[in-house]
Amino acid sequence: MKKRQVSDESLNRIIKYLAITLLIFGIILIAMQFSDFWNWILKAIKTAIVPVLLAYFTSLIVFPVIKYLEKKGVGPRGFSLGIVFVLTVAIIGAGFFYLIPKIVEEITNFFNRDFQTILTYLQTDLRDDFIFGTDIYDQVFTYITETDVLSSTLDSLIPNLINGLTNSLIPILSSIILLPILLIYYLLDYEVISEKIRSVVPQKQVKNAAELGSRLNQTVGAYLRGQVFLMVVLGIVATIVYRLIGLKYYLFFGVLVGVTNIIPYFGQIIAAVPPIIYTFIAQSGPGPITVLAVNLILQFIEGNIFQPLIIGHQLSMHPIVIIISILFFGSLFGAVGIIFASPLAASIRVVYNFYRERKHANEIDTKAEANTS
Amino acid sequence: MIKKNRPKISTQFEINAIVFYANMVLFLPLVLVITYLFEIDKHLNINDFMFWTLIANFVILITGTIILAINRDRLRRKVKVTYKDEYFYLIFLFVFGLLGFVVIYDNMGGNRAYIANILIVLFAGLLYLAIFLGRRYFNLDYIKNR
Repeated sequence: MKKRQVSDESLNRIIKYLAITLLIFGIILIAMQFSDFWNWILKAIKTAIVPVLLAYFTSLIVFPVIKYLEKKGVGPRGFSLGIVFVLTVAIIGAGFFYLIPKIVEEITNFFNRDFQTILTYLQTDLRDDFIFGTDIYDQVFTYITETDVLSSTLDSLIPNLINGLTNSLIPILSSIILLPILLIYYLLDYEVISEKIRSVVPQKQVKNAAELGSRLNQTVGAYLRGQVFLMVVLGIVATIVYRLIGLKYYLFFGVLVGVTNIIPYFGQIIAAVPPIIYTFIAQSGPGPITVLAVNLILQFIEGNIFQPLIIGHQLSMHPIVIIISILFFGSLFGAVGIIFASPLAASIRVVYNFYRERKHANEIDTKAEANTS
Repeated sequence: MIKKNRPKISTQFEINAIVFYANMVLFLPLVLVITYLFEIDKHLNINDFMFWTLIANFVILITGTIILAINRDRLRRKVKVTYKDEYFYLIFLFVFGLLGFVVIYDNMGGNRAYIANILIVLFAGLLYLAIFLGRRYFNLDYIKNR
């Protein structure tokens, strides 16, 4: 049998890729020797990049409103920005003014009235309702009481949780304080900053960079605006439906649905679990099946009616891609990474598609040039 | 040759009329949803409130119909390929209107045990209507596009 020959071109390519891979491994190996230094640099970059990214994403939501006002003759920029800023602060403030006291009242009521019922249920009635049978419940209960595993886990978990919260509290607070300041400066000089960024790009690539930037703004902006709108609509719908079916603490559970909707797939599960468990244990008001059905219908409406209409088909990504991006960006940037995982994944997809399109266009150009010469 | 089964092209007038009359049919439920969300219904006589809302609804209906009739010729000359924004608005109306009907049922003292059943039946009906209107007038084949 004749052996298949490897062409010089393929051989060169293989050697090139091998050399690049070895070089990358070498660089990683050297970089690992200075891990403390890199951690220090990465921490500094992370501290700076989180508020900047937040400001950029928020600007994508707010900037179209400013542009619309300017189109209608409300100007100069400072004035239209001022109107949008005051309105946003007023809406958020009114929301908090109305929602926070009510939610606090609901939480207080829960601890005063229902918490004891839940504790009693866990200590007494859970044995009869245990899904795997009373024998397994007894074995688990004996193991927990004999080995003291629960208290030791809680002893280590609670300090870790408090430590984690205090560690992330300062970056979150600094981001919240920095965000309006960064946003005002960014929106005031939106065009100037875009021009400055463009001037850094080599002259040959200016056109491509401008198109990529515009595509990124369009795609990610549409996604974010849609997601914020969906959060508000779903929160309102869930609150009304929960109240209609007679669920206690409907405002808290409804707001939870709206807030957690920002996390694709996981958000709705996170929001559905507390009311289902509550209705199961409290045994007053609607049954857990009704609450589950309501959540399933909400998910159906969100996924099949609102999302395609608001966010559009161009941004629809495969669930696996979204889940991987949540895990990846969540481990990289924490809570902010989980929230912005989908727009970040969408941005990467836009860049990748743009690169492929350019490559394809270049190949066609090269072929056309070869044919003419 | 003119194709058979070609999509019907709706004018802006038809779309505006559909959206406006849907708005009018769902006006009372929509207002009641807002009152229900902010718990305003606990502070006022709901029957009086519904009566005055219906009066306002009637006045807006007459005014809107006159405005539509005045602008009829101008709107009939306007045509778009699809009416996505208007359709989205209609869906939005349907969702909150659906909840509004259930709020009316609740305000009228209906049994809360049947609310989930009523919601599902109304939801199915409105979903069918939305798909039908999308195909027939808004040039948006909703299921096919997915």
